[in-house]
Amino acid sequence: MEETNFNLPKQTHEIFAIMARGAFISSNGSRDGMNRLYDVINNPENFDRLQAYFNVIRYNIERGNNFFYFSKLNEPNSELEKKLERFERYIDIIDLFASMDNKIGIGSRFRPSEIAEECNANVRLKQKLQKIPLYRSETLHNKVREICELMSRDSYLELEDEKSESYKVLDSYNYLLDVINSIAIYEEGTSASDDNQAIIYN
Amino acid sequence: MENNCRILNRIVQINIANVKYSDLELSGNTCFVGTNNFGKTSLQRAILFFYSANTRGLGISSSQKPFEEHYFKFENSYLIYEIQTENKPFFVIIYRHNKLVFRFVDAEYNPDFFFNENDEAIKIKEVISGLDKRGVFVSQQIDTFERYRNIIYGTETDKVLSKFHILKGNEKYQNIPKSITNVFLSSKSSIDSRFIKDFIANSLTTENSSIKLEQVERQLRQFNEKYSDIETYIKKDTQQLIEFIDKKYDQVHMLKGAQMEMADKLGSSLRYAETQNETVIKASQDKQAELDRITEINDEQKTLLEEKQKDVREEIGYYDRTIREANKKLKDYKEKNIEQAVDKNAEREKIQVELNIARREYESLTSNVQSIEMKFSSLIEQLRNDKTAYVNKINSRTSEIFNHYNELQLLQKNEFNKKEAELKQKREDALLEINSEMTEKQIEFNELKAEEKVIRNTRFYETEIKAHETELADLRAINYKNKSELAIKTNLVQSNQKDWEALETKLKSSLSNQIQKTNNEIIRIKTEIKNIEEKLNVQHNALYGYLEKNVKDWQHTIGKVVNEELLFRTDLNPSLTEEQGLSLYGVSLKLDDVKIVSKSIEEYQFEKNERLAIIRDLEESLNQFQTANNEEKMLAADKYGKQLGELKEDLKVLTYSLELAEKREKKLILELEDWRQRASTEIEQSLSGNRQKLNIIEEELSILNKKKNNLLNDFNLQFDQLKAFNNERLADLKSRQESEISELEVEKKNQVKEYEEKERELSSEKESNFKAKGVDSKEIGKIDARIKELQEVLKEIDQYAQIVSDYLKDKREIFDKLPDLIQKKDEYVKSANDLTAELEEISRKYNIKRMELNKQKRALEEELIEFNNGINYFTKNFRETPVFNKYADIIDRAEPKKTNYSVMDLCTQLLKNDSHFNEEYGAFQRYVNEFAGKFRLDNHFNFIIRNDATQGEYERFAQNLRSFVNENKIELSIAETATQIGLVTDSIATKVRELSGQKDKIQHIITLIAEDFKKAEFEESKLIEFIKIRLEDSDNKVYKLLKRIQEFREENGLVYNEGLFNTDFATHKHREISNRAVKLLDQLRTAIKEQEQEEIRLQDLFELKFNIKEGLNETGWTHKIDSIGSTGTDILVKAIIYITLLHVFIKESSHRGSSDFKVHCIIDEVGQISAHYLRELLRFAKNRNIMMINGLPNKSGLEAHYKYTYQFRREENNNVRIFPSIVTEVEA
Repeated sequence: MEETNFNLPKQTHEIFAIMARGAFISSNGSRDGMNRLYDVINNPENFDRLQAYFNVIRYNIERGNNFFYFSKLNEPNSELEKKLERFERYIDIIDLFASMDNKIGIGSRFRPSEIAEECNANVRLKQKLQKIPLYRSETLHNKVREICELMSRDSYLELEDEKSESYKVLDSYNYLLDVINSIAIYEEGTSASDDNQAIIYN
Repeated sequence: MENNCRILNRIVQINIANVKYSDLELSGNTCFVGTNNFGKTSLQRAILFFYSANTRGLGISSSQKPFEEHYFKFENSYLIYEIQTENKPFFVIIYRHNKLVFRFVDAEYNPDFFFNENDEAIKIKEVISGLDKRGVFVSQQIDTFERYRNIIYGTETDKVLSKFHILKGNEKYQNIPKSITNVFLSSKSSIDSRFIKDFIANSLTTENSSIKLEQVERQLRQFNEKYSDIETYIKKDTQQLIEFIDKKYDQVHMLKGAQMEMADKLGSSLRYAETQNETVIKASQDKQAELDRITEINDEQKTLLEEKQKDVREEIGYYDRTIREANKKLKDYKEKNIEQAVDKNAEREKIQVELNIARREYESLTSNVQSIEMKFSSLIEQLRNDKTAYVNKINSRTSEIFNHYNELQLLQKNEFNKKEAELKQKREDALLEINSEMTEKQIEFNELKAEEKVIRNTRFYETEIKAHETELADLRAINYKNKSELAIKTNLVQSNQKDWEALETKLKSSLSNQIQKTNNEIIRIKTEIKNIEEKLNVQHNALYGYLEKNVKDWQHTIGKVVNEELLFRTDLNPSLTEEQGLSLYGVSLKLDDVKIVSKSIEEYQFEKNERLAIIRDLEESLNQFQTANNEEKMLAADKYGKQLGELKEDLKVLTYSLELAEKREKKLILELEDWRQRASTEIEQSLSGNRQKLNIIEEELSILNKKKNNLLNDFNLQFDQLKAFNNERLADLKSRQESEISELEVEKKNQVKEYEEKERELSSEKESNFKAKGVDSKEIGKIDARIKELQEVLKEIDQYAQIVSDYLKDKREIFDKLPDLIQKKDEYVKSANDLTAELEEISRKYNIKRMELNKQKRALEEELIEFNNGINYFTKNFRETPVFNKYADIIDRAEPKKTNYSVMDLCTQLLKNDSHFNEEYGAFQRYVNEFAGKFRLDNHFNFIIRNDATQGEYERFAQNLRSFVNENKIELSIAETATQIGLVTDSIATKVRELSGQKDKIQHIITLIAEDFKKAEFEESKLIEFIKIRLEDSDNKVYKLLKRIQEFREENGLVYNEGLFNTDFATHKHREISNRAVKLLDQLRTAIKEQEQEEIRLQDLFELKFNIKEGLNETGWTHKIDSIGSTGTDILVKAIIYITLLHVFIKESSHRGSSDFKVHCIIDEVGQISAHYLRELLRFAKNRNIMMINGLPNKSGLEAHYKYTYQFRREENNNVRIFPSIVTEVEA
């Protein structure tokens, strides 16, 4: 279908390129004009057009609190499971972030070295960091770095200043918090029907 | 040597670089032959320096030594240029005097000027003095390159120096050295139109005439960043966050303040508790001692009074008993008719007398019949005695019985009395017991009553209530003051805002007026420019162009008589006729005094430039006006904004303090109410305790009363029973007495009757005897009866004589004193009452005092307990918490002071509040982070907060944000950004205009070059058929955008800043324009980034294309001309093009009248050119008054075509020797 039929904004390709790889577009992102892209999608006229356009290719634009992302229509269960598996690692990361003295929230700016230092000084945090299983880095600093890189790749963080290695927490971080908050923990011994339900549900 | 022509004739090097001395003639084509690194290029640079006098434009790389250091190593290093003139030559000395300096010498070069007799170069001072001695003119030292160039190119105004020129240049003479330099510098490069472009452009421009894209990009970036910051700021989400931050900050601030206040109170309370502990214990002990003391005093007083009371009671008892007994006696006497008895007793004497009289009368009557009388009297007497004896006997028995019974009665009475007394005693005892118990209870009751009265009069928590009332009153007074201040400041804010708005409107209207005025003026001038441009554009094809080309000095002939409009008409088809003359259609005119109507192209150009300058000035002044306007706006914003900010801050503070005060007032009212409630509860509690006690005592009293009544009833019953029994017993005794007595009386009566019968018989016998003897017995009888009667009366009186006597004694001793006794008793009763009252009063006073002291003591003890509990609680439950650490300073530094709150309450409250504070603070932090995160890291508002920022930093952030909002700094930022967009576009437009203004010059030069190519005599050799050149529009993306911005600027003027962030429909158009501007700038920024070009130079403004035909090869219109033919052809074409360019520039840049000069074209490597081509080239140059200086690596026969050929040789001492080669010039 021709783009012109939809009267789409000229940033459509850019938007697609970002969101189709599973990344978010946050309103407080500044790299590569992310905030501008957010404004473009957030424009009600554009949103309807983009939604209609992307629905054709079985993508749905989901609106979060100051961020957008794609969801796939009729996604197979195996894919969902993979996503859940991928998400698991974030539970520990968010737990670590939430336990810091200077809590990391939307808009927070920090350097991995700061987090590493705090973890080094606090046994509880250190254990939490060491518990995160995904990474092989030996030093705490490298481990935090890897976490930051992962989160940057998944567009929850943004490397604002490469020189000082300063990261900013993007609005998409809300997505992680929302999912975490939606987790229901069932006690053992509940009925089988309950067990069969998803662990995470929205 | 060429004559009548100015030319650089000679170059002399003395101790220059590796050359000790060389003296080279250059007045014709010159060739340097030598292998590489022998100093050919150095020499060529030295020649170039003569023309350019610019050490930096000689192609010396940065790794090499600078010109000055490489060439002028010694004090006596000299570079000497000799210039041939029409008359005699002059020369220029260049030497180093710290920097390079020049001196002009009006003489032919002579080595003697510079060397001594030992052939050693002398110092400049000696050179000058030598010249002076010789009377040769030597100029002052010329310190600057520019002045040297001015002299050489004939623009020096100093008449002394003006003769030392090589040519007479015009204002564009700088192009000549530039061109010569460019030919030299680009001679090694391959031939590309870009080099030609660069050549032309570099010749026309200075170093600064380019658009530095880095600078533009910086401006654009700065603008873009500011724009994006503002855009972020005015977003709805961001505004919402600002509100949240503001609100949360207030809450956090308030909570913190409250916490600090509480911490201070805690500290004060703790210090107070610690310092007051001993004092309170002491005070409590004092109270106890005081209590003991007053109890002792009270007991003493009480005992004393009670003793007095006892005495008085005893007195009262005595009098009471006495009076009661007297009354009883009186009553007994009255019952016995004591008064009648007393009266009768009073008549006893009188009756005794009457009896004695009657007896004497009876004795006188019975004196005659004494014997009879005696007989009968003794008989009768006997009888009477019997009778009396009998009566007496009976009477004695009666009396015996009477007495017996009386005795029994008496015993009974005694028994009764005894029993009654016992019973009474019992009753009294019981009553006394009950009464004393009752009195005790009554006293207790009275005490409680008094206590109640005291309680009712006591004001509990008076201090607290009073403190609250005072605080409330103070608070209300401050509130009132704050409210009025709030009203005043609100008015002030409104008036300030009005003033500000008025000033803004005024500034806005003055700016728009100015803009309108300037734009009108610009439009007018632009129309004029357009007219001039139209003339200039058509002049080539119009009569004007024809005259310029074909008629010499037409301005002074046709120019004076022709209509200016006609000059620019293109439809006149002018042609030269055979008849030439200074006539107008055959009419000769004297035109000396006629003003020239026509203007030269330069004049038109000048006029155009003048108008452009006016436009620039106008825009500049508009810019200045706008800047001034903006500054004024900013000043106003600064002034009013600051004032308003401060006022708003004050208002906020006032509102906040009023809110706080209101809350405080409510709290105080509640607390006051609470204290009052507590006071009344305390009273109620105390009263209820009292009342309970009172009720119990009342109950007990009523029970005691009942008991007393029962006791009394019981005793009364017992009394009654006893009395009844007594009465019964008495009655029985009496009846038995009476019956026994009456029996005896009957017996006595009968016996007495018998005796009286016998007596009457004896009396009648006696009577009869008397009668017989003549005695009146009747009279005797009467007297006898009378005697008997009197005796009876006396007897009766005697019967009561004892009682009367007792009575009278009692009367005398008791009854008459009774009133006194009563009075005394009353006195004692009164005294007793007084004592009771006194006792009660003392008790009451004591109780009040005791209660008061007890209360105080209890309060102190409670306080002490509270202190200790508080300190314990603080130590165990508070000291180790983070909350303590947070407020440790405040707590530790607090002054000891009593507060209305307990330490425990304060600790609990602090802990509780801290958790609330942490929650609120967390939210506050989150909002600040989210807000700051919306902006770039280096945003120009400086909204930055580190993740590990302290509370103070977060609070300062919120304060600054509040000031920002209050002072409406966003408006300033918008105004600045709006000005910036104007300035950026304006700056770009100006730069583009300045740069593209030179495009005309390019066009002009290209036209001249094209014409020069045409004129070239290529046909002769047929080597090159033609060289064509043309201009095309640039396809440089950045330049195109720059141009679009310039056009946009021209189209819209300066008015597009108003709508930058304005959503007002009225200024919709402005917004659209602003958006376009922003978009254009954004595109430009992207293009600059993508293109990675440092600057836009003149050569980026156009594309240059060549079309060259060499033999059968035609290149077609192309940028590159390196593939025309062989390398030699390429070099030839390149050299031809350069020479053409040089020729054109020299022609353009020199004075019209100045044609008698020659310059050099220095092209280093021409080794690969064929002799044929070289000859062609030298001729081509010669025709244009240009002498060639070329370098050859070795002798190849080519040198034969040059007038001078010099060879270079390196000697053993590494010095270079330059010497002329002996060749024969073939043809030049």
